[in-house]
Amino acid sequence: MALFVAGLNHRTAPVELREQLAVEEDKLRELLREAQAAGIADELVIVSTCNRVEVYGVAEVPGEARAAIFRRLCRQRGVDPATVEPVLYTHLDGDAVHHGFRVAASLDSMMVGESQILGQVKDGFALAQSCETVGPTLHTFFTQAFAVAKKVRTETEIGHHAVSVSFAAVELARKIFAGLGGKSVLLVGAGKMGELAARHLVEQGAFPIYVVNRTWSRAHDMARALSGTALPFDELATALASVDIVITSTGAPEPVIARQTVQAIMHGRRGRPLFFIDIAVPRDVEATVNTLDDVYCYDIDDLKQVVDANIRERAREAQRAESLVEREVAKFRARLSDVEVIPTIVSLRERLEGIRVSEVRKALSRLPEASPETRAAMEALSSAIVNKILHAPITKLRESSRAGAGRSWTELVHELFGLGRRS
Amino acid sequence: MHASAFNLAVVAYVCATGLALAYLVQREEIVHRLASLATMAAWALHTLGLIALAVETRRPPLGTLAESVSMVIWVVVLVELWVERYYGVKVLGAFVLPIVLVLSFKTIVRPTGFAQIGPTLGGAWVWVHIALATIGIAAFVLNFAGALMYILQERQLKGKRPGAFYYRLPALETLDRLTYRTLALGFPFLTVGLILGALWAGAAWGSVFTFDPLAIFSFVAWTIYAATLAGRAAAGWHGRRAAYFAVVGFAALVVTLGAGLFLPGRHGS
Repeated sequence: MALFVAGLNHRTAPVELREQLAVEEDKLRELLREAQAAGIADELVIVSTCNRVEVYGVAEVPGEARAAIFRRLCRQRGVDPATVEPVLYTHLDGDAVHHGFRVAASLDSMMVGESQILGQVKDGFALAQSCETVGPTLHTFFTQAFAVAKKVRTETEIGHHAVSVSFAAVELARKIFAGLGGKSVLLVGAGKMGELAARHLVEQGAFPIYVVNRTWSRAHDMARALSGTALPFDELATALASVDIVITSTGAPEPVIARQTVQAIMHGRRGRPLFFIDIAVPRDVEATVNTLDDVYCYDIDDLKQVVDANIRERAREAQRAESLVEREVAKFRARLSDVEVIPTIVSLRERLEGIRVSEVRKALSRLPEASPETRAAMEALSSAIVNKILHAPITKLRESSRAGAGRSWTELVHELFGLGRRS
Repeated sequence: MHASAFNLAVVAYVCATGLALAYLVQREEIVHRLASLATMAAWALHTLGLIALAVETRRPPLGTLAESVSMVIWVVVLVELWVERYYGVKVLGAFVLPIVLVLSFKTIVRPTGFAQIGPTLGGAWVWVHIALATIGIAAFVLNFAGALMYILQERQLKGKRPGAFYYRLPALETLDRLTYRTLALGFPFLTVGLILGALWAGAAWGSVFTFDPLAIFSFVAWTIYAATLAGRAAAGWHGRRAAYFAVVGFAALVVTLGAGLFLPGRHGS
């Protein structure tokens, strides 16, 4: 019996192919049931996202199981198996564990550290559970994978640091202001990106929100969408004097906020910082306002630069996460190899215990006058003999499985003691 | 007894400083935990040393300037541990502990000469003078650390190139608040401490500033802090300007203590 994972992801397969193979839930259910009925594998979980399609399974011959399941998948999606075969990867046992842990921990994601993948893996697992294709091996494996993913998230900063421009702006705001609760925001212009950034700020508790636009009706609509207040365009300078964060995203060809305007209003603010998020291209705020005391002005390129730095920071954290995952894999492999030999140990013990009990009973039936002491002594004697005999083979089985040779030893023990076919 | 406790405390402070700086670079949670533990151990040893000193000399461990600076360190570390825990500024140790280490070179290592309390050094007012000045200086050490962090973080934000400090330091507003609070806390202590010192000097020696280097420099430092506080309260100074003043004020304070420790004068060397 071997654990395997086979599949394709954003690195091996082009998006066109991934699109074609991404499976909806009911189709996935169908596929799992079919595979189960055909006896392709003992256990099966399929993880399907827009960036990967992966089959986790336990089978006697993983290569056959893999071929069978992908043949069915291709048939279902109307894809030529010949196009899929070259982009497939397969990992067995320890490598499969390593791969699965990395996927769940978001180390194998296109954007390392993104948080959705864990939920997607959990969905795949839950679906397989509802189809009853999850057995003890995959159950232990996925439970552990989720635990490792959580550990990675809490012990490293892999999920910290915004990787989108609008979130990077929010993070910057939080490095200027201690908290965003009660910080007022002025939105100038009605660009989509501006609205998105404003929304993120509102989610962090920013309040109140003001909206300024050359077209009054658009200002009004946007204000309603953000639960804010619309202001006439000529009140821009007045509004600037009172707010904490300004988001600009107008389509104006010239800057709408001049250095002089900002300089003039800063005097009355008594040192309250003013943060400009200028998402417009061409820019809406004169770049030199950044040189004024307590004014911070980030245009779209600056924000992208911050995002790049954040990505580098995440990559550093990812390295720490990788070594954490490796340690966890080693731990899990030791556990897994114990799992491999435990059924054999149990049946060996049962077999000898069965012999012992029946032989003791036979002997006692020939000794009807035996005192309770004699009976107890016979029980103790036989138990001791059985335990002594079992000690060496059990130790050997455990050792061999840790060394990776568990399978040949369990087979040998089954043969020697006539334990029947291994389950 | 007190000497060995102090020596061990210095060793522990050196370890804590190294770990705190390592945390700034490495950002491993375990490093921070070790740094905190080392700091607490050092502080505990330091406490032990101060108690032993007080028992051996039968007076508060503030009899010489070196002992007072040792006390400053003790207060600073206590407050640093508290701020770190309650404000969640985990990198504070990296900024405070190096200062602690510099201050401890002459003082914790060699807080000797505890027999030299002259006949003029008597009376409760002197102890009050020393205790108040000690608390004031401790607050200004944290004031300086906060200002330094503010300057670094502001530079990162203005420069738009996020580096190590951007990720590790808290928000500008938090840091500005920290420098303001420590200034507002330290200033009254320093002021009353200095007034008491001056009054007492006038009474004991008949004049206030007869060539005592520490007295003169401390007046300079006090003036700088007074100007900063006035600027903050009246003119709305804050942020970078206030931070620069905090740095200058602390420099004056360091010169003051240096003068007291190394130049001959009434505060003795």
